[in-house]
Amino acid sequence: MNLETVLGAWVATGLSLFIYSFLYKDNPFFKLGEHIFVGASVGYLLVITYHEVMLKKLYLPLIEQHEWRLAIPLVLGLLLLARLLPRLAWTSRITFAFILGVSSGVAIPRQLSSFILQQIQGTLKPLVTISPAGTINFGLAELNTVLILIGVVSVLVYFFFSIEHTGNVRRCARVGIYFLMISFGAAFGYTVMARMSLLIGRFDELVLYATPEYGYATVVLLVAIVVGLIWWERQTV
Amino acid sequence: MTAREFASRMLKLDRRIIFMLMGVVTLIPLLYPLGLPVRVSPEAYQVYETLEKLPERSVLLLSLDFDPASKPELYPMTVSLLRHAFQRNLRVVTMTLWPAGTSMAESVVSRLAQEAGKEDGTDYVFLGYGPGEANAIIGMGQSLSAAFPTDYAGRATAELPVLEGVRSLRDIDYAISLSAGFPGLETWYVYGKEKYGFELGGGCTAVSAPKFYPLLQTGQINGLLAGLRGAAEYETLLHQAGKATAGMDAQSAMHFLIIGLIVVCNVFYVLSGQHRGRPQINP
Repeated sequence: MNLETVLGAWVATGLSLFIYSFLYKDNPFFKLGEHIFVGASVGYLLVITYHEVMLKKLYLPLIEQHEWRLAIPLVLGLLLLARLLPRLAWTSRITFAFILGVSSGVAIPRQLSSFILQQIQGTLKPLVTISPAGTINFGLAELNTVLILIGVVSVLVYFFFSIEHTGNVRRCARVGIYFLMISFGAAFGYTVMARMSLLIGRFDELVLYATPEYGYATVVLLVAIVVGLIWWERQTV
Repeated sequence: MTAREFASRMLKLDRRIIFMLMGVVTLIPLLYPLGLPVRVSPEAYQVYETLEKLPERSVLLLSLDFDPASKPELYPMTVSLLRHAFQRNLRVVTMTLWPAGTSMAESVVSRLAQEAGKEDGTDYVFLGYGPGEANAIIGMGQSLSAAFPTDYAGRATAELPVLEGVRSLRDIDYAISLSAGFPGLETWYVYGKEKYGFELGGGCTAVSAPKFYPLLQTGQINGLLAGLRGAAEYETLLHQAGKATAGMDAQSAMHFLIIGLIVVCNVFYVLSGQHRGRPQINP
């Protein structure tokens, strides 16, 4: 195993344990880990953006391949920085107007089509199917269609506030609440699953880094952090 | 101590004890795997089957739209999908819409390509980071070589054998977005598939899975790998147990613990009388 891999494992283990130390309470290890994370993330994003965007997609095509059309986004981008100069700040509105206009023009039709029209189409499916022999079929797929239809209609009724929720409207809205509760439960279940997956992922690596190949990084650093926390507690009492 | 006092005390249990319990329950199955079976869902099978049905040298676009924060869920999916694509001898075009995921994406693609004996530029390519979120996809729909004049290694994309005949997204046979949020699978559907008409599947973190099921139900995407479970299902389909399958034991154990804690807490809540509005006992 080369030195940089082992060193990387020690840094990753140390930072993971720094962050996990928050489960005990807010402490200097956690704060250090948090600050390193923020600094490293911003620095990394800056480097990637400079290399992949500014250099490869703007500077090189513009200067070496003379693609002069790229001067337009360059000028528009520079105008955004004009906000820093009070006398020229108004020029940034040109870029904002361009961004808003293009984004709305591109997004509104696409979003309407994808999330309204296509979804309505998916809701309005045949509730029963009739075979060529004339028999009516009602299977699990059709039951799903019925459930989706009831769910959509009842939830829409629940969110319809222009009429008072009494009588049949109240009963329908009540059904809508049950559908909403089930969907919240499913979303929460998936959220728990996602968070647990992250914990498993970190633990998986911490177990790997506890092996002799990585110099028992997890064990050594865990002991060091626990000792550090005890020392810190004694200092603060 | 009465049952009510005990229940009240339990409801005030130090949360760090629960954290420790969760840590132990996660750790034990990782050290001693139980080998619980993984059942394959139809939505995961759809992704697998689509790749199986693609003829050799078809073009698969794999967009790795995540950063290291979502690595535990989406990295195992990436590994399985790349292995499958290389086994099927597809042309693999990879990229990312997340700047923070660029190096990780490049390293996993080149590692698995090397493992499969594939040649960079001929069998696969990593295009790098596509800035502009939806604009990157729209740009690729108009002209791939204009959106990515060079790949991550700085070679002209117009001259790469792997992209021969691929002028835009219309020439892609199947696209998969492994998505940790925005931009991701949703962006690829709205600005890519809807407009340029290629087949689209996806993988996502479990937290974002519920919002993709409506797209799956209407056929707007043809398959979905949801969270660590989705990754484990794909590993099962490939008969290559990996990180996701190993993690599923811990996942199941953790779910049992959480269900148990919810039940026990509810029992204590009822026993403590708080559901009747009785004041809490401070032991």
